[in-house]
Amino acid sequence: MADETIAGGDEESPGLSRRGFFLGAGGLAASGLIVGGAAGAAGGFALARATGSETAATADIVYPYFDQAHQGGIQTEPQKYSVLMTYDLTASSRGEVQVLLARWTAAIAQMTKGQPIGNPAPPGPEAVAQDSGEALDLGAQGLTVTVGLGPGLFDSRFGLASKKPGLLKQLPHLPSDQLQKEFTGGDLCLSACADDPQVAYHAIRNLSRMARGTATTRWTVTGFGRASAGPSQQTPRNLLGFKDGTRNIVSDADFDRWVWLKNQRQSWMNGGTYLVARKIHQNIETWDTDRISDQEQVFGRTKLEGAPLTGHGEFDAPDFSKKSAAGDPIIPATSHVALAAHENNGGIKIHRRSYNYTEGIDGVGQIDAGLLFVAFMNDPDHFIRLQTKLGSSDRLNEYIKHIGSALFAVPRGPRTGSYIAAELFD
Amino acid sequence: MNRSALARSSALLAAAVALALTVSACATGGSSTSGSVASVAHGASQVSITLANKGGSDVCTLSSATAKAGPVTFTVKNESSTAISEVELLSAERILGEKENLAPGLGAVSFTVTLTGGKYQVFCPGAEKQLTSFTVTGKTATVANSVTGALASGIKGYAAYVTQEVTNMISATNSLKTAVDAGDIAGAQKAYALARPYYERVESDVDGFILPGFGATDNAGNLDYLIDMRASNLDPAVGWHGFHAVERDLFEAKTITTSTKQLTAELATNVQRLDALTKSLTYKPEDLANGASDLLEEVQSNKITGEEEAYSHVDLVDFAANVEGAQQAFAYLEPGLTKIDPSLTKEIVTQFGAVNTLLDKYKDPTALGGYVSYTSAIRASDGPGLSASVEALHESLATIAAKVATA
Repeated sequence: MADETIAGGDEESPGLSRRGFFLGAGGLAASGLIVGGAAGAAGGFALARATGSETAATADIVYPYFDQAHQGGIQTEPQKYSVLMTYDLTASSRGEVQVLLARWTAAIAQMTKGQPIGNPAPPGPEAVAQDSGEALDLGAQGLTVTVGLGPGLFDSRFGLASKKPGLLKQLPHLPSDQLQKEFTGGDLCLSACADDPQVAYHAIRNLSRMARGTATTRWTVTGFGRASAGPSQQTPRNLLGFKDGTRNIVSDADFDRWVWLKNQRQSWMNGGTYLVARKIHQNIETWDTDRISDQEQVFGRTKLEGAPLTGHGEFDAPDFSKKSAAGDPIIPATSHVALAAHENNGGIKIHRRSYNYTEGIDGVGQIDAGLLFVAFMNDPDHFIRLQTKLGSSDRLNEYIKHIGSALFAVPRGPRTGSYIAAELFD
Repeated sequence: MNRSALARSSALLAAAVALALTVSACATGGSSTSGSVASVAHGASQVSITLANKGGSDVCTLSSATAKAGPVTFTVKNESSTAISEVELLSAERILGEKENLAPGLGAVSFTVTLTGGKYQVFCPGAEKQLTSFTVTGKTATVANSVTGALASGIKGYAAYVTQEVTNMISATNSLKTAVDAGDIAGAQKAYALARPYYERVESDVDGFILPGFGATDNAGNLDYLIDMRASNLDPAVGWHGFHAVERDLFEAKTITTSTKQLTAELATNVQRLDALTKSLTYKPEDLANGASDLLEEVQSNKITGEEEAYSHVDLVDFAANVEGAQQAFAYLEPGLTKIDPSLTKEIVTQFGAVNTLLDKYKDPTALGGYVSYTSAIRASDGPGLSASVEALHESLATIAAKVATA
């Protein structure tokens, strides 16, 4: 603004126009931008291309959005990056929540195609852009945004108590929990995953803006690297350097048995699932100084190959009964893999879809990082049972701390012409 | 280039741009109508308005461009547009009927208005072509455009308000100078907190002045720099001047030195210079709208964070003054704006009410400036709530410039 010297206090001045004051040399530049906007409008927003960008190879991956059996971002092969954001509803009426879910659905559908949700440079100098623009030209990047509904949506505020999904509640306090209020709960959540970090970020940023006046942000975690794999992907590693998710659910049969909801009394949740999010802080510095043999005992797997201590290949089935010459189990009973294995938990499996996170350094100069654990299951009690065991006995607890937690009901995917959880408002 | 020549060339360019926009919108079919006369059913002409995203462009389409005088029912359905969530029927900038919260997936909604012959416009904010002409044939009635008049008297009233605030700032800074010159720390602290609001209420209007003889980038001649610069943004070539330099002495060192006295005297002089410049300002309605929006931006960026008053912690005093200044600008637009968009006007009134109710909790007549000290504990516990409340109001205020600018 301070781009031009003005003759102040000139008695003969007919009056200094406030508008002229704001424009000046900068005004011409602003007008130039509008011309650019018009040119953009002439071509419409053709599907963006990321040619030449670092993530060009994945730019054109587009997952279909409407008329799918389930929401994306669950069975979808994990993308490289994620942003999870939870919200508190501040709306005073059910109608506001309905409009938000409808607007979110339409916006997600559009961003999934790699398109902005409005003109980032609208015509007219006073117009305010609808889309913030930082994902322009990056492409779709396999974006998925998964919408979850927290227990608070079904409390007394919106008259939706009678439609509450049967198993949706606050998770109970679990052994070793060190939850912090600022990373816990939420009435709604969005989990955006994409092969370009800025595409995932853009989705959450613009959807959060849509929520203004209806919901406020509660907590968020940005995942910079996937820590779980789909059937065609190599098992990635968590920040402790170990492969994570080797025995994860990948087959349709397992998804059908352990993830998707069916025959629900709340029939609108059929095809949906439950999402457990846990922010797990890792004590990076102490872990890094732990000797390799102990690290492998903690996990029950080898570090390089990721093989169970009783086998040679990553996908060898662990043998929990095999004992050493001294008579001890080769895979310690308190190792992470032994406590979490379905063989030792009545067959229970959950689908994990976690991401590594880092948030800089903490107040004493230590690395603030860990795992955004995200898991999908058709009964939250499956997670509760597993984590009760792990929280009580896992040798890994010396190096990790569960600091955030939330449970959400995830409805099925929306149909064309409708929106997520539309049945709530019938 | 002198100012008037610059203004002319800007206007010419703007006209050329507007033309280009019209042409490109036609070329892409940014908005379209069938051109036929609306059919009549249930005693009313039936016009459907469809909102859609076509190949990345948001379009607003009318089933008919004309209708006969009498009741007209507009049925609006958002098929797939994420950018358009509102449709209005306008006559001479007045809203005759409107529907909001139009999201894809929700059912069609309608409104019926009785129209006399004449030219109307369907306004779809967010569409590539926002305005679509709609003609009603038959008996014509004159529509008085009282919007322009209401806005014109509003900007005059606001100009007087700004002038008054800056004039009052002179006596407030003179009181500060008197206390500082007397070496009265407690009195000076009190006077400091009392002087701050005058600047904070109007800072979006007065923050761009450069003194004669100085270049645009020379902070030594930038009155806002000289009056209101914070420690975090100092220009080493110019050093620290103004309110916050005095604040540091009064609240951190808690001593009045020769330098404190010089800084305060200089501040009082610069406020007088500001007063002289402010008197020559004229405004357009959109300046009031943008100014109000900018004041809330100030609240979000500098007050809720506690950066503005790092030593005195009277951030809530500044916060309340920014909100008050924004509310004044809005109030002067309100008589015109309510004719343009009654529901938005009502919403903003409610949102100002919500922010003020929140602020009332912190009032304390015994505290400096009338508000409790903004401690880091308050910031941690209440900052997010204050921020969310201001954010909702800010989002609404940001939309009014476009509405009043065309009036």
